[in-house]
Amino acid sequence: MTALLEIRGLAKRYDIRLGAFGEKQAVVRALDDFSVDVVEGETLSLVGESGCGKSTTGFAILNLQRPSAGSVRYKGQDIAGLDEDAMRPFRRDLQIVFQDPYSTLNPRMTIGEALAEPIRFHGLAPKGEVPARVARLLEDVGMTPRFANRYPHELSGGQRQRVAIARALACQPRFIVCDEAISALDVSVQAQILNLLLDLQEKYGLTYLFIAHDLAVVRHISDRVGVMYLGRLAELAPSQALFAEPLHPYTRALLSAVPEPNPRAPRNRQRLVGEVPSPLNPPTGCRFHPRCPLARDICKTTVPDWREVVPSHHVACHAVTGPGRTNWEGPA
Amino acid sequence: MTLLDIKGLTIDIARDTGPARVVDGIDLAVMEGESLGIVGESGCGKSLTMLSLVGLLPNRIRATGGQALFGGRDLLKLSAKELRKVRGSEIGFIFQDPMTSLNPVIRIGDQIAEALIYQKGLTRAQAKDRAVELLALVGIPAPEERANAWPHELSGGMRQRVMIAMGLAGNPKLLIADEPTTALDVTIQAQIVDLVRELKDRLKMSVVWITHDLALIAGLADRIAVLYAGTVVEDAPVDAIFDRPTHPYTRALLGSLPTLAGAAMERLPSIAGTPPEPGRRPPGCPFAPRCAFALPSCREAVPKLQSVPGNARHKVACPVMLEANV
Amino acid sequence: MTMIDIEDKPSSLWRDAWRRLKRNKLAVAGLAIIAALVIVSVFGPWLSPYDFLSQNLDLRNQPPSSQHWLGTDDLGRDVMSRLIYGARTAFMVAVGVTIIAVLIGVILGAIAGFYGGWFDRFVMWFTDITMSVPQLLLVVVINASLKQPISLWMEARYMETLNPIYRNTQIVDFVLVFGAMALITWPPYARLVRAQVLSVRQRPYVTAARALGLTNRLILTRYVLPNAMGPLIVAVSAGLGTAMVLESAFSFLGVGVTPPTPSWGNMISDGLRVWTNYPHLLAAPAAVLAVVTVAFNFLGDGLNDALNPKGQK
Repeated sequence: MTALLEIRGLAKRYDIRLGAFGEKQAVVRALDDFSVDVVEGETLSLVGESGCGKSTTGFAILNLQRPSAGSVRYKGQDIAGLDEDAMRPFRRDLQIVFQDPYSTLNPRMTIGEALAEPIRFHGLAPKGEVPARVARLLEDVGMTPRFANRYPHELSGGQRQRVAIARALACQPRFIVCDEAISALDVSVQAQILNLLLDLQEKYGLTYLFIAHDLAVVRHISDRVGVMYLGRLAELAPSQALFAEPLHPYTRALLSAVPEPNPRAPRNRQRLVGEVPSPLNPPTGCRFHPRCPLARDICKTTVPDWREVVPSHHVACHAVTGPGRTNWEGPA
Repeated sequence: MTLLDIKGLTIDIARDTGPARVVDGIDLAVMEGESLGIVGESGCGKSLTMLSLVGLLPNRIRATGGQALFGGRDLLKLSAKELRKVRGSEIGFIFQDPMTSLNPVIRIGDQIAEALIYQKGLTRAQAKDRAVELLALVGIPAPEERANAWPHELSGGMRQRVMIAMGLAGNPKLLIADEPTTALDVTIQAQIVDLVRELKDRLKMSVVWITHDLALIAGLADRIAVLYAGTVVEDAPVDAIFDRPTHPYTRALLGSLPTLAGAAMERLPSIAGTPPEPGRRPPGCPFAPRCAFALPSCREAVPKLQSVPGNARHKVACPVMLEANV
Repeated sequence: MTMIDIEDKPSSLWRDAWRRLKRNKLAVAGLAIIAALVIVSVFGPWLSPYDFLSQNLDLRNQPPSSQHWLGTDDLGRDVMSRLIYGARTAFMVAVGVTIIAVLIGVILGAIAGFYGGWFDRFVMWFTDITMSVPQLLLVVVINASLKQPISLWMEARYMETLNPIYRNTQIVDFVLVFGAMALITWPPYARLVRAQVLSVRQRPYVTAARALGLTNRLILTRYVLPNAMGPLIVAVSAGLGTAMVLESAFSFLGVGVTPPTPSWGNMISDGLRVWTNYPHLLAAPAAVLAVVTVAFNFLGDGLNDALNPKGQK
């Protein structure tokens, strides 16, 4: 197991001005102290509700949004905060697929042009071979080469998402961030695209950072899953362990909120009260404490440590000491 | 007692190239006190069917045939004025996007009161009181204060509660919820689902819940209608849909659904292809080109909804599966 | 695995827009009038029945007749021929001014919107300043202060070189009119392009292009600008009409094209003085100007609908 990316203390802050004349200043901490090793060939998923910072993480890793702090080590070099020119050689290896199939492709370019662009720009094939390369990319994502002279608006959402994947593949990358890549698709199409992503991973040995809010989907495709809340990692564990034995109270609440396709499923599940607070003014201490059924005084004042309670199962919670064990039962 | 009875409803989009059919002869009934789930993928006509009942179809889209009986009247034949009355007091509507469905420059209490003054002829003071009552009903804490809040001061979940309060303002007999939780996070979705289920029992109304999410509807509906390309392909009590799904589309849809229970498979079974676009529906059964069980006869005639032997309430539009009796 | 195939005929966004435009009757009418204007201005010398300068003092202020379809003016010149040459002036000024203004606007707006920072602030400040100067005043000042020195310089050059090009006073006219009008009409284009670029810059396909490592110049010219063009095309169509009206207005006020070069503006100005006696001298140029302006607006509206289809898929 070798780490493809070593991410340490990654953070993204936005300075914003409030008030009618911008007289008040505030800091939005979209991402705080994110540290993870992304293992070569794995699918690492990040889940959480809106505003938890999971998309920001993907953008910050790829340096598409310049991180405010922290490092991302790739091939022995820290790429966090590199300028565009210095970043260019790494861009080929690190790709991204976006959520919205309707705006992920340039509407004025044919599919063929869109796929040929990175090949030509990076000089990945002699000029004469570009059309053949484009054809092979389309075949890789299950489409006939006849799509090459089509425009995006002629394609369905699922087809566009396939093209977006082909565009990411054009650079022969090693790592792809899938930023809610299937969330906007219909159920029957979601499964197609998921299976395509898995096929391509096998074929090309790709590593995925899979960002999603649908826990059921994540369970099926991930090797490891990280749960985020308000810009921080709450829990990180191998997929099976996380879904079988979630440790963080937030992970548990999140899982119990997922509807089951079973009309006889028990209905009195654990419900979280309230909503995610604004990242403009996050709670002190553990950011989850105002909604946490286990919260105590220490949670209001001290940020919990990131601890490995079971081998390769990390959690940031004062209450959790091990599988099924908490420091106290219920609130004091 | 049947509250709403839709028969042979057709809806067309006016295209440059001529009308394109999006809803093709839908038969659907809602009983009093029942909670009906309408499930289908985007473009299957699930929202348009319900919007057509209250005269809210978008430009260029029109109901061109069939009827929708509600309280002894055909909703499709009512004037705009009569429909307005139906919308306010007899049929409540909740929309998908709570962010854009509220007027940002009117306080939420006033937005609810507005409808009450106009529809029910209440005085301003009465309407304000009723608005606060409604906000309390949908579980908004400190409703007196929140009534004076602006929409942007509320979170997404709170706004959706306000939308529900507005939908309930006229004491409707039927509440239509058009994907009301799609834009919300999963923990908030769970809260809203609980709320609607509770309100339905308390106010003794019928609820039609439109969604693409089979898992969500499992815990909500008494009966489910599965739509595909503008037709009802299966209509059955919720247990029957999940225990004995009969139409190949329903089966495939359930099969491709990732779940938290059971074994985690890597590959999910998927349905090849995409649903047909309006105006280019294949002849015969619209699902036939994607169907693993399709016979040549499927491509000839559009199948009718027929009861499954032994369960009159379980109806399927697939002669192949009915004959095979699987 | 079975491949997904596609069968319909290919269609591009521009082609679709053209198809929608063709269905809009008013826009097609506008386009036809503009096409006629272009033909008339290009082939004017061959189309006009008389020389626009030739005077016939025996036939002054004639009403329309079979020889002179639109009558003659106070110097006995054929009004129709002058209108045709006026079309030339109007067309040249409109196109020339708009090209210059759009070039300035696109370059400044695109760079300001795409890169932001101090250049953006500077461009926006400069646009605000330009827009706050009274337009008419600016044109009058430019005309009054530059016309004489340039004419004198041309005269001197002619004496030195005897090149007849320096005797052509029309050139001075056009350069001054073009320059002055472009100077006051570019800011709206710059603002529009900047706003478009700001919004297109956020689209995922632009981020995807950045993720592919493409250079900023490539991203700006191939991803951002082509998608920011729609509203600009609409604005240009309306802008051409406005430029024609503006040119007429300045000629009317005597700060535009100098007589005897015919311009609809100075024809209207001349006609206005005698309109109680000879209404056709005012009616003919005014009607043509009105028709052409309306044509540009119809086309602009049609383009707007064609490029931003609403209620359609």
